Amino acid sequence: MTKTISLVAAAILFAAAHRVPAQSPSATIDLSKFPAKEVSDVVVPVPSEIFIVLDKLGTPNWRAELRKSLGKNTGNRPQVALLLGTVIAEGFIAVEAEDSERVKDIGRELLVLAEAINVRKAVIARCKSVTEKANAKQWQAVRTEFDGALQDVRGAMEELGDDDLAQLVSMGGWIRGTEVLTSVVQKNYTPAGAELLHQPQLLNYFTNRLDRIKNTRLGKDDLVVRTGKMLGAIRPLIGKEDGSKIPVENVQRINQMTKEMVLSITSPGA
Amino acid sequence: MKKFLTILLSLQALLLAPAHAYVNDALSFAHEAANPYFKKGYTVREDAWGGDLGVKDQQAVAAQLFKGNDYWFCLGTEVGNAVVTIHIYDSQGKLAESESWQKGRFAAARVVPQKTGTYYAIITVEKSPKERTGWAVVYAYK
Repeated sequence: MTKTISLVAAAILFAAAHRVPAQSPSATIDLSKFPAKEVSDVVVPVPSEIFIVLDKLGTPNWRAELRKSLGKNTGNRPQVALLLGTVIAEGFIAVEAEDSERVKDIGRELLVLAEAINVRKAVIARCKSVTEKANAKQWQAVRTEFDGALQDVRGAMEELGDDDLAQLVSMGGWIRGTEVLTSVVQKNYTPAGAELLHQPQLLNYFTNRLDRIKNTRLGKDDLVVRTGKMLGAIRPLIGKEDGSKIPVENVQRINQMTKEMVLSITSPGA
Repeated sequence: MKKFLTILLSLQALLLAPAHAYVNDALSFAHEAANPYFKKGYTVREDAWGGDLGVKDQQAVAAQLFKGNDYWFCLGTEVGNAVVTIHIYDSQGKLAESESWQKGRFAAARVVPQKTGTYYAIITVEKSPKERTGWAVVYAYK
């Protein structure tokens, strides 16, 4: 009897100590019946989530995608926020290119731009860590630091009540990331590469965020207005349904639009 | 709901110090759930999502995922005796995960997307001794 109890106890302890498969979930759910307040806004991916897929599809020349200039800070807050986003995206590209000098330049520029919008304190440690890890060529760790810098900047801006401006940082990153994605895909077009552009909910999310700020001074800023128009123009080009084919012409058009937008953000008045 | 944990943390820090602690704890448990995948070469996102739910309540976190990547969504709660689950569905509402597991205050689900698009992580508090149970999700990719 004692032996049986011991065996049962051992079995219980063994089961408790190991992960067990979750109980069978429903095979389908009706998302339309899910109360809206219980559905979060879409999670904005970091550029490396896309770049890693591109690496699996081929061998992009990441160095060729790096910009020579990181851009000019005009002191106009929406421009600085968008610029900050493009610089962080540039950091992810430099990581893919494994260019430690460029990564360190980007870390320094990040600090300068963060100071311009009063969030320097939030990223000092990150920038220091970017430099250390770039020197050690710990690329995955550098990637994590850029991801963390993006969250820290946004978090600090939200704490200051600059939620809308914080969204512009995300959008700047997305615009530069999409420019690079389309540049790489159009050079060696495959439907699988182009499918990475299918991001309907993300575009809806960005558009909704811009709509919410339409009536403020920030909403009327030229770059903000143009970003909204660009998102609206991209939306019909990315495929209606998951898995639908996005032709090379659409990839080229999106590349042209995002390239022009990045130029406007980085070289205002040029 | 758009609850970046940073907002939640700062608001709760202002309004309710003990709540700050439990959300922070939930995040640490989510990271604990993700730790095995970090060791397997996944990159764990710094961004996290969190909130609190009543028993049997659900929350959906929408995420843009890319075909070609491999993701683990990892859930944790600070409530020791709670049972929480996470499952991943595609934009048509079809179960999309390739595997999942559940162990008390931890749960995780893996998805290797067959198509690029929007996916939904559905979080459920199955059991809890508390009226509201804090939760946090992080995801890892490679």
